[in-house]
Amino acid sequence: MRKKWDLPKGCVIVLAILAVLAVLFYFVAGEQLQVRSDATDAVSPSASAGEILPGTTLSQQFSSPGGRLTGFSVLVGTFARQNRGTMYFSVSQQQPGQEPVLIETFAADLEQMQDNSWCQIWLSDPVEDALEKQFILTIWSEGCQTGQAATVYFGNSIATGRFEIGSEGWEPLQQNGVLLDGTLCLQVYGGTDLWFGQYYWAFALGAELLAGLYCLRLCRLQAKGKSCFGLRFIHAVTHYRFLIQQLVSRDFKTKYKRSVLGIVWSFLNPLLTMTVQYVVFSTIFKSDVPNFPVYLLTGIVLFNFFNEACSMGITSILGNASLITKVYVPKYIYPVTRVLSSGINMLFSLVPLFLVMLATQTKITPALLLFPFTLVCLLCFCTGLVLILSAAMVFFRDTQFLWNVLSMIWMYATPIFYPESIIPARFLTIYKMNPLYHFIRFARMVIMDGVSPEPKAYLICFVFALGSLLIGGLIFRKVQDKFVLYL
Amino acid sequence: MIEVKNVSMAFRMTQDRIQSIKEYVVAMAKGKLKYKEFWALKDVSFTVNRGEVLGIIGRNGAGKSTILKVISGILKPTAGSVQVRGNIVPMLELGSGFDFDLTGRENIYLNGSILGYSRKFLDEKYAEIVAFSELGEFIEMPIRNYSSGMMMRLAFSIATVVNPEILIVDEILAVGDEAFQRKSRQRMMELMGGGTTVLFVSHNLDQIREMCDRVLWLDHGQVKMIGETQQVCDAYQI
Repeated sequence: MRKKWDLPKGCVIVLAILAVLAVLFYFVAGEQLQVRSDATDAVSPSASAGEILPGTTLSQQFSSPGGRLTGFSVLVGTFARQNRGTMYFSVSQQQPGQEPVLIETFAADLEQMQDNSWCQIWLSDPVEDALEKQFILTIWSEGCQTGQAATVYFGNSIATGRFEIGSEGWEPLQQNGVLLDGTLCLQVYGGTDLWFGQYYWAFALGAELLAGLYCLRLCRLQAKGKSCFGLRFIHAVTHYRFLIQQLVSRDFKTKYKRSVLGIVWSFLNPLLTMTVQYVVFSTIFKSDVPNFPVYLLTGIVLFNFFNEACSMGITSILGNASLITKVYVPKYIYPVTRVLSSGINMLFSLVPLFLVMLATQTKITPALLLFPFTLVCLLCFCTGLVLILSAAMVFFRDTQFLWNVLSMIWMYATPIFYPESIIPARFLTIYKMNPLYHFIRFARMVIMDGVSPEPKAYLICFVFALGSLLIGGLIFRKVQDKFVLYL
Repeated sequence: MIEVKNVSMAFRMTQDRIQSIKEYVVAMAKGKLKYKEFWALKDVSFTVNRGEVLGIIGRNGAGKSTILKVISGILKPTAGSVQVRGNIVPMLELGSGFDFDLTGRENIYLNGSILGYSRKFLDEKYAEIVAFSELGEFIEMPIRNYSSGMMMRLAFSIATVVNPEILIVDEILAVGDEAFQRKSRQRMMELMGGGTTVLFVSHNLDQIREMCDRVLWLDHGQVKMIGETQQVCDAYQI
């Protein structure tokens, strides 16, 4: 047979691609693979500490969010006027039972200071082994007079629940030794070394080796004429590739067949949705998300794909009933092709996303190369879900109506048009169980921040995708023989 | 070629088909979720050899279509096993895989892929299919504009262009005008005579006598008789 000849060659190609990807990934993901950046939440400002004149000293005790203390930023105010003088920030480390040890002192020129801005300061020499140590930030001014001094803010509530490490537990801000009602508006940056990054090459080599062994096993089994999951999978892909191709192209051709603009709708649709939501959420409801158009469009494109794949896929078995009862074709072909056609549709809607990125001057970084990862994960996730839904639909026709409600809930439970920071901290654990949250977050980090997410984010996306695919596949396989009886 | 061993097929019939969760829960709460079993096939065994034309006869509801579905893999038998060596091409109820918004050409490829043809095969046979269907330039038009006769001709041309190892025919199809009917009959005969194993269900005993090597007579899901064409047909006609 021809296929027997093909397999070893295919294995070599797959292994080579894997190796190239592993190397490429190392350079694209870069520093994010080695170090996790952490930041504490700053409290929202509720009062200012008044003019900081010479003789006034503010001190705030804080701790580092990560194993390494790298810097901090302080919210400063200038009373909207031109000031003169210098503000000093000094960081020292507290030693139990001893005088604090000074680490570094920074000077900020008051003339350069912007009102209500974050004054960001990086330690020239990050403090290692900073976890569970106490630090003190001391602030004072020199060379300024009343009416020319700046201020800092403090408060006692945190509005966002974005990061897990809160600033609760810090002692209140002290002004000349007097405790104030609240802590300084201070954000502390830290970093933690990740063991995954340190052993990256070992992991990559291990994965490559495992893949190699599996390929070897496939080849041996094939030579013996035995069958296993991998071989059946390869066989299905080669055997039904033409059918899948045809079904996908049918979905795509018929979708816009009788519309005037045709395929342009694939571009236009997300763009129009974005425009509407942009107008609504940037004028009527104020939203302070930076680069909101791109933020919005990323969410819309990914969620639309999910929604379309599921709502179309749910009827994929039922809609092809006339074929299923007459021709033998593996039944999973129908849901899978449905998801694939939605996927192709999504690829088209990435074009407007790219255009909006250019229009808003979002930086194009190598991190964009990581974007396909979340797309593939989302595709697998949808496939698994559609397998379950389409199977359920055969037995209970109410699945469709139930799904309509469910997809609406799902839409509001996903940060598409609102920032995730509006979610109260106590709901965050439940909120983060939403797989779409992770896929969209991944995409936004890669597109908007231009950096790779932390290794954990990859793992979460991968686990959700694989889990959904496995569960969906198992359920589908279990019930598919009964389909014919209920169609 | 085809080996059917002790195949039984049971359908569970509820009093009324439950198709919503509400009905299901209500029925379960009432304890009415009882099924009546209906055996469409009971312990059916037979073999078909390579190149043989097997006719299947029987009354309505005797299980003829069910056994065809079991053999082609659409239905999984409740008990027993079916072994098939070779690729099966079912003669679809004509045109069931068509998409009305696509052109004739696109439908040839779509329907062909569903029937399991490869792209290469379809590329080769494309001209032949179009010629046989006598559609000419209409092939580039969406088939929702076709007349029913045109559609049937196209469907028949696609379904019979193959040279399959096993062909399953549920009633011979008389489509189109008289000239086309003659042509399609001839095509069927060619296929059946060309070394293909054929399973052929028909109520037309004349056709059965004319074409089949052996005949299987099903009655109420059981094999009533299997053997020489003339013998079985004579017995059936009494």
